[in-house]
Amino acid sequence: MIHQFETVIIGSGGAGLYAALEASKNSNTAVLSKLYPIRSHTGAAQGGISAALGNVEEDKPEWHAFDTVKGGDYLVDQKAASILAEEAIQAVYDLENRGLPFNRTPEGRIDQRRFGGHTRNFGEGPVRRACYAADRTGHMILQTLYQQCIKNEVSFFDEFQVVDLILEGTKCSGVVVVELATGKLHIFSAKAVLFATGGFGRMFKITSNAYANSGDGPAVCARRGIPLEDMEFFQFHPTGIKGLGILISEAVRGEGGILRNRDGERFMEEYSPTLLDLAPRDIVARSMLTEVRNGMGIRGDRQIDDYLHLDATHLGKDTLMKKLPDISEFCKTYLGIDPADDPIPVLPTAHYAMGGIPTDEHGRVILDNKGTIVDGLYAAGECACVSVHGANRLGTNSLLDLVVFGRRAGKHIAQYAKGADGVKVDESAADEARQWIEQITDGSEGPHGGHITDEMQTTMMEKVGIYRNEKEMQEAVDEIQDLRNRYRDVRVQDTSSTFNTDLLEIIELGNLLDLSLLTAASALDRKESRGAHSREDYPERDDDNFLKHSLAYLEEDTVRLDYKDVDTSIWEPKPRTY
Amino acid sequence: MSNIDLTLQIWRQKNSDALGKLETYTLDKISTDMSFLEMLDVLNEKLTMEGIEPVAFDHDCREGICGMCGAVINGVAHGPEKETTLCQLHMRHFKTGDVLVIEPFRSRAFPIKKDLVVDRSAFDKIIQAGGYVSVNTGGTPDGNAIPISSHIAELAMDAAACIGCGACVASCPNGAAMLFTSAKISQLCLLPQGHAERKKRALSMVETMDKEGFGNCTNLRECEAVCPKSISIRNIARLNREFVRAAFSEG
Repeated sequence: MIHQFETVIIGSGGAGLYAALEASKNSNTAVLSKLYPIRSHTGAAQGGISAALGNVEEDKPEWHAFDTVKGGDYLVDQKAASILAEEAIQAVYDLENRGLPFNRTPEGRIDQRRFGGHTRNFGEGPVRRACYAADRTGHMILQTLYQQCIKNEVSFFDEFQVVDLILEGTKCSGVVVVELATGKLHIFSAKAVLFATGGFGRMFKITSNAYANSGDGPAVCARRGIPLEDMEFFQFHPTGIKGLGILISEAVRGEGGILRNRDGERFMEEYSPTLLDLAPRDIVARSMLTEVRNGMGIRGDRQIDDYLHLDATHLGKDTLMKKLPDISEFCKTYLGIDPADDPIPVLPTAHYAMGGIPTDEHGRVILDNKGTIVDGLYAAGECACVSVHGANRLGTNSLLDLVVFGRRAGKHIAQYAKGADGVKVDESAADEARQWIEQITDGSEGPHGGHITDEMQTTMMEKVGIYRNEKEMQEAVDEIQDLRNRYRDVRVQDTSSTFNTDLLEIIELGNLLDLSLLTAASALDRKESRGAHSREDYPERDDDNFLKHSLAYLEEDTVRLDYKDVDTSIWEPKPRTY
Repeated sequence: MSNIDLTLQIWRQKNSDALGKLETYTLDKISTDMSFLEMLDVLNEKLTMEGIEPVAFDHDCREGICGMCGAVINGVAHGPEKETTLCQLHMRHFKTGDVLVIEPFRSRAFPIKKDLVVDRSAFDKIIQAGGYVSVNTGGTPDGNAIPISSHIAELAMDAAACIGCGACVASCPNGAAMLFTSAKISQLCLLPQGHAERKKRALSMVETMDKEGFGNCTNLRECEAVCPKSISIRNIARLNREFVRAAFSEG
């Protein structure tokens, strides 16, 4: 079945909805999502959205842009970072005007709080920059954007899973999707397609990501010859609940929470004397793992799953209930403890992909290091790489990335879709996808997909995790290749056609395997330590050889790596200390 | 950590048109550290191995914010624990020998799609009827920002905490969506941004609520008791005031 739209958006999180909101003002727009719109993972973002409003103390967009560049260990494209910081202010006001209930100061202005890596006057000390709605900021943004899309009469196709991208040369003309309710294939033809499918943390064993975060957009693009940028940079959030990976927001440390080792020491004093517990996430996560490896974890057995304490007991019940109500409930629900009485057991959890589909500052997808644009193809949000996060993202910059670049992509699409010629697509565009779906549902015997998932997640966590080295990463590449071979024989074991969750899981696993391979191969090739990518065999940053973005191409069964320049036109790269 | 043995009676229904019934399954050695949904994952793995179609259920984030999951456990939406979604319910609250009756969120306005999966798109229709701000109210005195007292912001935020899971409807003997609708209306009518359209919003959202087949509130407070986000029925009082005010005023 072929559906005709001018604009098709895949994914209904913050970036997808903001793009839909703008694109729908000027083009016939559909949003396809494998979930229901308000269920997307943007909703789980707790802490806040940064903007240099200067409501509680002096602040400037320039400082915010600098923090973003430095936080990303200078692998950030600096013009893009300036756009992010400057447009942040209008983005927050727009959300407020549309009914988002931000927390307020006693005078009634939007309140702001501290977050890791955000500083005043180019690194002098922490600044209050994060606007927030308790610890439900993402939830509020999602609700607000969804309400606006409904008002603009955007067509929603819920529970549709993307499986292929229709490209003719360097022009995009639509996507192929599976309707989960029936198992049927649909073609959506469109002048403009935007991927906003979010992250892919599900490639790791311990992750804060939801089950749906399987990187469908980047994987589909990679299989169609589009490179993925900076895949080696994956952020581990310092404070996941021990064993579960569920996130305890950085806001706990923003409000004064302290990380302690088994002797009760505030160990961040040693690693980051200025910013302490609010140093950027890569530094805190590494410091924690170093403590664990030195036998200073709470158990003290130096095992990778040993943990540390996040102490919020001195904040008092009142502050916790008022400013961090969900965190208190999380602790009670998952751990059976009250953070007002007991420290929270935490360890780093796979959280955010800095890399993804390469785009320019209008969200247009780029095909190579010469800047060749794929006409009509866009990406925004976590699945895209603008790049404003570089080698390490700052807290609260993800929600900001969604609204700023989701909005910019939507505006560009609105213009593009008016001018571009119509596209013609026939049923044969779905042939490859159809053959593949028929093959995996042919009812023959095959290995269990779940076991492959388990092995992939363990390999990635142990060998391409916080600390990395040549030997282990090579093993990871070989193991993932082996899993990809086994994956070819996996068959759907649930034979029903309505709501076949087994089929969905197998599609997602295929995507995660391809992205795992690209991640491990990119990491292996980057022989330096920068931001979230820390190599034991190359502990220093190497600007001479590696101040460049990686572009990883998936070519049949191999990965080809290329590189492209970083925009360092504003600030010269310096050593990164806090 | 300990293990428990359970008997599950789960509602199985092939699609919206088929007749459904409760099927009985037994599960042994379930770790009490598991969440309820992990327990269902284990069941599904077992069923798949036995060649039985796995139980369809909605879930995604498994940390209580996305609003996807939900089922009625022994007659209580989201199960026996207060202020939690189903994904946050842990097996440590059950013991060996327990019989768990697991049913979908039943209501006239929520047709069953398969097993425990229900169609909650009626909620979307209520939001479509007016749950948004369409007038840009930015301007003086503070640049673009609107000053709002922190007390009002807190009330609006408590209402906006609604995740649209539908437990309120499933628990209500009248199948009312008043708690959901009132949360959406409260959030917007409390804030100055939402004032411009408050009359139209109240009338149109309530009308859609009725048209979608939801019942009315008779102050039984079952919804408040099961709401995972502790939304108060004070919001329903506010909805009623908004509706009466809109119905009896001109313009």
